[in-house]
Amino acid sequence: MSYQAKGLQAWLLQRLTGAFMALYILYVLGVVVFSENMNYQQWTGWLSHPLMNTATGLFFLTLAYHAWVGMRDIVIDYVPHDALRLLVLTLISLFLISSGLYMLKILFSLSLSV
Amino acid sequence: MHSSIHSAVRAAKSRPKNLNLLTVRFPLSAVMSVGHRAAGILLFLALPYFLYLLQLSLSGESGFLQVKNDLNNIWLKLVLLVFIWALAHHFVAGIRYFLLDLDIGIERQTAQKSALLVMILGVLVTAIAAFFLF
Repeated sequence: MSYQAKGLQAWLLQRLTGAFMALYILYVLGVVVFSENMNYQQWTGWLSHPLMNTATGLFFLTLAYHAWVGMRDIVIDYVPHDALRLLVLTLISLFLISSGLYMLKILFSLSLSV
Repeated sequence: MHSSIHSAVRAAKSRPKNLNLLTVRFPLSAVMSVGHRAAGILLFLALPYFLYLLQLSLSGESGFLQVKNDLNNIWLKLVLLVFIWALAHHFVAGIRYFLLDLDIGIERQTAQKSALLVMILGVLVTAIAAFFLF
């Protein structure tokens, strides 16, 4: 894929991931706000449901991608000097990779608690 | 002809590659856009903490109760409000960008009005959340 097409792909995926996350967040907040005082069993039961587990996995994936594109855009706009930019982008990717591993741990614990 | 090529090359070279924020004028839509970016950075930085809360809440009965208890702390509620604003602003601003990409509300005056609306909605959602949190 050409360099320009990659930019277009990032632009499009930024919107698609944003749209998916918006729906997921509205749904989760809606359930949490309207089911007052969920207990532990209800909380894990709900999140462990195969559909919810899959949606959460997809949410983590889209979140990591969305955050990467957004942070990269900001760094490209405001951080001068190639070396400094590379350093900041590396730190951001390490941050996101660690967060991604943490997300996997959460998803794994969810699939075990069924 | 030669000199016009030279001046074109010079113009291309003098194009700003990195933006110095102190030299840029800020209309309403720009303030909202900076808010969108700042909110994005805030949410990015807070990601490990919220993942930690989620992990703790799923770790067992006691972890679940600890998260519930922690979220009742007044200082944490105040910090939470900042992130509620960040999420609300980022969310609504994102919808506005989505509509602009579809050429909806693209006219300058409409875009300035929708930028104001985004900022008001961000604060309004935060105020409503504060009402229920406190």
